Amino acid sequence: MPMKGRYPIRRTLEYLQKGDIIFKKKVKIMTVNYNTHGELGEGARKFVFFNIPQIQYKNPWVQIMMFKNMTPSPFLKFYLDDGEQVLVDVEGKDCKQISQHVKKILGKSDEVLHAEAQAKMQASHPANFGPKKYCLRECICEVAGQVPCPGTKPLPKEMTGKYRAKMAQSQD
Amino acid sequence: MSGRKIMVHATWAIGKVIGTKMQKTAKVRVTRLVLDPNLLKYYNKRKTYFVHDALEQCTVGDIVLIKALSVTRSKHVKHELSEIVYKVGRVVDPLTGKSVAGTEFVEPLSDLVLEENISLSDKLKELNISAASSAADSPSVQTPTS
Repeated sequence: MPMKGRYPIRRTLEYLQKGDIIFKKKVKIMTVNYNTHGELGEGARKFVFFNIPQIQYKNPWVQIMMFKNMTPSPFLKFYLDDGEQVLVDVEGKDCKQISQHVKKILGKSDEVLHAEAQAKMQASHPANFGPKKYCLRECICEVAGQVPCPGTKPLPKEMTGKYRAKMAQSQD
Repeated sequence: MSGRKIMVHATWAIGKVIGTKMQKTAKVRVTRLVLDPNLLKYYNKRKTYFVHDALEQCTVGDIVLIKALSVTRSKHVKHELSEIVYKVGRVVDPLTGKSVAGTEFVEPLSDLVLEENISLSDKLKELNISAASSAADSPSVQTPTS
């Protein structure tokens, strides 16, 4: 049974996570004014249909509001934290062009995203074991392919401490 | 107990005015897109805020930009009106600066050359004349603009 609706791929987690516009911290509100009819506004309509869910998924704290048929030509308006407003004319543009333009002016660049990802990775170093709050894993028994935890499955006799002690004693 | 420092989630928000019956206060509805966890589709979730509006300049239906106050004014009012973005009935197109009604401009743009309106009686006269003559004469003068 296929998914319901037109272009239901928009409603998959994989599609939402593929969004590449992550706004800078100072962008608070995004407003899209577009029209339901008209050739020139086709790009804006496609942008709203395909890209807005991706943007909202990656920027959950940005308020996005859509307005239909308020002005003859479509545009985007961004409201930044310091009171500044950015107006982007969108008439005649393709939805890909719009999203690339928005990413260029108000999105975090790839280097910044890389740096942030690195910083996050440093916090979770895979070679460290310890409490869940600070490290990824608590004990090496959690790793697949290593000796399982004796709490869940008893160790083979040769590995237990008392057998080894007995062997060591019987040898002396 | 006014003068409390507040921690509001959003310092800025945009919403629609839904009520102005209070003195110097507007009721503003802010909609945010929230993801439904099962459908994975975004729906508008509304929240009303009481917004301080010193000059009582809002009417119902305006789209306004509100800003969080640093100190809360009263038990419910935590925001103030920053600016009216689109005034209802008097929307101004930000790209051209002209007033706009829906998808049409209120006054026609001056750089468009529109042909003068031919009155109905003149059109009828033209039809009468060419009815007797051959049908090759097209009475209609109207050419589509743009």
